[in-house]
Formats: sequence, C-alpha cells, structure tokens
Amino acid sequence: MTDNRTICLENGDPLGEDLLSMTPEQLKLVEREEKITDVEFKTEAVSYGKDVWRRFVRSKVTIVSLVIILLIILMGIIGPYLSPHDYLEQNLALKNMPPRVQGLEKLGILDGSQVIEIQEGELENYADCIIENLGTFEVKSAFGTGTMVRLKINLYEYNGIGDEYFWFGTDALGRDLFSRLWQGTRVSLLLAFSVVMINLTIGLIVGAICGYYGGWVDMLIQRLMDVVWNIPSLPLTILLIMLFGSGILPLVLVFCLTGWMGTANGVRMQFYRYKNREYVLASRTMGSSDARTMARHILPNAVGTIITQCALSVPNVVFQEAGLSYLGLGVQAPNPSIGMLLSDGQKALLDYPFMIVAPGVVIVLLMLAFNLMGNGLRDAFNPTLRE
Amino acid sequence: MLKYILQRIVAAFFTFLVIVVVVFFVLHSMPGDIIDFSPKLDPNVRQMIINKYHLDDPLIVQFGYTMSDYLHFDFGYSLKVRPGVPVFQVVLERLPVTIQLNYLAALVILPFGLFFGITMAIKKNTVYDHVASSIVILLISVPSFVLAALMQYFLAYKLEWFPLILSAEDHLTWTKFYSMILPILALSFGGIASIARTLRAELAEVLTMDFMLLAKAKGFTYRQAITRHALRNSCVPLASTFLYLFLGVLSSSLVIEQIFGVPGLSKTLLASINGKDHWLTMGIVIFYVFIGLFMAILADLSYGIVDPRIRMGGKKND
Repeated sequence: MTDNRTICLENGDPLGEDLLSMTPEQLKLVEREEKITDVEFKTEAVSYGKDVWRRFVRSKVTIVSLVIILLIILMGIIGPYLSPHDYLEQNLALKNMPPRVQGLEKLGILDGSQVIEIQEGELENYADCIIENLGTFEVKSAFGTGTMVRLKINLYEYNGIGDEYFWFGTDALGRDLFSRLWQGTRVSLLLAFSVVMINLTIGLIVGAICGYYGGWVDMLIQRLMDVVWNIPSLPLTILLIMLFGSGILPLVLVFCLTGWMGTANGVRMQFYRYKNREYVLASRTMGSSDARTMARHILPNAVGTIITQCALSVPNVVFQEAGLSYLGLGVQAPNPSIGMLLSDGQKALLDYPFMIVAPGVVIVLLMLAFNLMGNGLRDAFNPTLRE
Repeated sequence: MLKYILQRIVAAFFTFLVIVVVVFFVLHSMPGDIIDFSPKLDPNVRQMIINKYHLDDPLIVQFGYTMSDYLHFDFGYSLKVRPGVPVFQVVLERLPVTIQLNYLAALVILPFGLFFGITMAIKKNTVYDHVASSIVILLISVPSFVLAALMQYFLAYKLEWFPLILSAEDHLTWTKFYSMILPILALSFGGIASIARTLRAELAEVLTMDFMLLAKAKGFTYRQAITRHALRNSCVPLASTFLYLFLGVLSSSLVIEQIFGVPGLSKTLLASINGKDHWLTMGIVIFYVFIGLFMAILADLSYGIVDPRIRMGGKKND
C-alpha cells in the first residue's frame, strides 16, 4: 500500500485524496453474491418502434390526418358499391343533375333543385315539380317582347325519377358522380401507392449500393441524375405519355422512370452518412456480410427519413396526375381519377359548379392529411429535427 | 473561382447535349407520320417534304442534319401549329405573356414569402405563428388548379370583380394586367407558402446560434442583427429556391394557363407535341433546358456569394 504510484483507477486516473486517506475500517470488500447496480431502472425498456409510435400518437393533428387518410382509403375501396348507380352507367336523359341527398333535401340544401328560365306559356309543363316561383321578367327579342318566368324546380321530379337520389349529382353523360368520385379516388390512390412502392424499391436498392460501395457505379448514377434533373419535367412527362399512351400502367411507368432518383438520392445520403460509424465497423469486424451490415445497422438509421419521404410523395403523385388530367393526358377516358373529375368539373364550372366541389374537397383533404401526417412522422422518427 | 465557373459551364454543356439527344430520339420514335396533312396530298408534294426533311434517312443521319442546322442557329420551321413560321419566332412571340405572368407572380411571391417567413420565425410559437403556419400548410396542400377554379367561380363569375379569362391584347396594358391578377394569384399562393415555410425553419434555427448572441453583445439592435447575420445565413438553402422560382413557375403554369386561356409558351408546347410538330417541340424544349441549366449555374454561383464557406469547400486546392 505504500507504493501508491502504481495504484490507480481502471481508467488510469490517480486515486483521489478521499480514497488514499481511507482507514482500513472503512474498506469493505464487495461480496460475490451481492448485486451491483447504480440505480435500479423503474421503467421498462422501450423499443425504437414503440417509442416512435408513442411520439406519433401524441400529436392530435397527426391522428386526425391518419383517420382522414384511412377514411378516404376505405371509401376508395367500398365507395363505388355504396351508390345504386354504377360509375360507368350512362343516361343522357339524366345529365348534369344537381346533387340530392335524403334528409338534407328537407332543409332546402342538396335537394336536387335548379333555377331555370322559361316562357310564361310553358308554365303548366312544370306544374308538378315547382318548388318556388321566383317571379317574372320581360325579354325583348326579334319576335317581340315576351314574359319569362324564373322557376326553381325539382329536376328529379321533372325527369320523373322522384324517388332516385344522386348524392353528388351526375356529370355531362349522366353518370353518378358519387360512384365516380370514389372510383376515381381508388384509381388515383392505386396509382400513387404503386408509384411510391416501385420508387421505394428501386431507390432503396440503388441508393444503398451507391451510398455504401461508392465507386464508379455511384459516379455513373450521380451523373445520370444530374442530366435527368435538368430536363424540364413537364415536356419529358408529356413526351413519355405520348410514347407509351395514356392509362394507369403507362402513367406508373412515366412517374417511376425519373421518380426513383429522388428516393435513391435520399437513401444514398443516409447510407453515406452512417457507413463510417464505429458500430458499422464493429459489425464488419465481427464478420457480418455487407447485406447484413446494411440491413441491420445502417438502414434502421435511415428508415425514418425514408418513410417520411414516401408519405410526402403520395400526394405529389396524385397532384401530378391531376395536373396531367387537366391537359387531357391523365388516366384513360371511361376510368375516372380525381384529376379527371376535377378537369371535367372545371369545364362545367360556370354552369354546374357542384361538379368540382366533391373532387376538390377530396384532393385538398388528401394533400392536407398526407402533408400533416408526413410532418408528424418526421417529428416522431426524429424528434431532434422538430422546430 | 474562374476555374470553378468554367467547370460548371462545361458540365452544363455536356448535360445540354445529352438532353438534346434524348429528346430528339424520344420525339422521333413516337408513333405516327410527321406529314399527315390530308389523304388528297399529291404524292409528289409528299416526296418533296420527305426529301426536304430527310425523313427517308436513318434517324441517326436525321439527327446529324438537325444538329448541323442548330449549330448555325437555324431552329427550323413550325410545320403544323403555326405553319411556315420559324420556330425561333414562335418562341419569341409566345414568350412575353408567359414571362409577364411568371415574373409578376415571382414579384408577388418574393416580398410576401420573405415577410411571412421572417415574421413567423421572429414570433415563433405565438398565436400569429400558429395561425400563419396553419394557413401555410393549407396553401401548400391546396392544388393551384383548385384554387384557380375557386377564384374563377367566386371572384370572376359570381362577384364579377375580375375578368374570367386573360384579355387578348398584345401589349401589357392596364386591362390586360387587370385580367392577369387572378392567374398571378393562383400561381403565387403555393410559392409564398413554401418560401415562408422554409425560411421560418431556417431562420428559427439560425436565431438560436451563438453568433446571434455575439451580435447582440456587440451592441447591434435586433433589426441589425437579423438583417446582417441571421437572414444571410438562412438564405443559403433559399438561394436556389429564389432562382428556381423563375424557372419552376415556368413549367407549373401550364394548367393555370389552360384554365385562364393564356396563349403562353407551354400551351404551344402541348399543341406541338400533340400535332407532332417536332421542330417546334425541340425548339421549345431546348429553350426550357437552356434556361434551366443557366439557372442551375446561377444557383451554384449564388451559393458561393451568399455563403463563402461553400465556395472554399467546392475547390480542392488553391
């Protein structure tokens, strides 16, 4: 005990004054059976996934958006079957019918009414369907002056289908807009999800290879991305659609052709960042294969960013498809999509404004919900990023 | 610095070449005949057209001819959309209205985006910030064409405050400007929202940095500290956004142009692709690509100006 130069703590620090001046009575050896703990953990260990989930459900906005998304997806699945009218069933006699909903019609809204202007002499033709007479006015024409009547009529009674209900009205070909809206939602979402899935798969593989191995493959793909990103996307998209034809499958192809690069770039950055960490080196030293190292040690770090990116790119695809539909390049004709319904509604906007309301509301809800959920996901996966 | 600029220009030139090649071959491998004027077309005339445009030659030879024309700044003639008019002239004619629309939109976007971004960051976590943030999220989520339809119906049709579609005058007169207000608004809301959101996040982060405390300790007023130190730092990620604003709106405006009946460049592009007017399509795409690459170089350079550290990092030794 006299030669205290050689006695030091485990980490090399010399012993402190309090330890050196310790009297033999104070020294007590640790018994083998004794449990050595600093502080006992009172809470149970929480896994990463559970932790993320807890942070995710904490935000009310995120939960509301998740519910909205699930509702829209549910309606996309069962919606077309709820209405007695098929989404392809045309009836030119019943075109441009305003919306009419059971119950609500008694309140005077969504009652299938339309204001029309007729000559006074035709008044008896409309006798059984008048809701309200809005008065008369004079019109001067080449045939002399005539008296016109402005009537609010029940268009459903007028067409002799007083017991039918088109909840969202009908379009210019007499197709039920309710069925069409949810069928369109289904098509749009199907397109968006398949594009995101394909982009994710390709992007993950290519990004992982580029980020982990680097080298000439990485160089080549980086240069390719430089070129593709500088092509204005709109002319390229239009050209490709012209080349492949329009329809769901060609659209998926067009969106994926350049879309995977965004995902690949994101994944590459993440892999590049984490590949030189010590735990990755440790895993390799212990002899695990490259695939195992990537899957077990690097990917979990990147998974939050990737999932967030995916959630945010779903509404993007819906949005782009809608834009293309406006130009007549979207999904093929009898098959509706949200964008198609919007652009049809746009054409009839001034005469039948009700046509654009429902698809407009659905697309806004979709975009809003996915954006908010994406933000919620980002915060849940990476709380340090939260502002 | 000069070396860096030259490097960028050379890289951009090669990108340009690759894109021209890709677009040319995609365009010319589209199904259908370039000449489908009429079944009554005299076979001799048809043969003449084929000879003139070398349509009988292999694609690669046609590509050679086209490229040698381009090297002489001859972009050919429009075949169908504007028969007989040089492509260059078509672009020049269609450009003003597109540029007016987009740059006026950018003029709306910049001040409002900056204003809301800065005020939101300064008043972070106040009622103002929460309200403004919700509006920003809403504006990002509402597609511009839905917004355009809403405004067209309520402001133009119901209230009759604005004209429904763009006035057809050639020059920028008061009535034309008046009819441009709605499309400009439709174009700018999304831009304002995205700039405000990015700037808020960046600025809020910079405001917590040590050098802001130092600036305060040096005796700067709050305003001075924000304008001289905080804004400059938070503008780095926005530098490219500002520049791409002038380009990005250029392509996103197509739907808006369609809704408001604007006879702009993108409408001509769509018509030329639909009508297989290949020379016109090539001309317009080349124009877009040129502007895009130019903006990309400018964006790279602006990073260096806004943040000198990036310029040093870009070079390896000297």
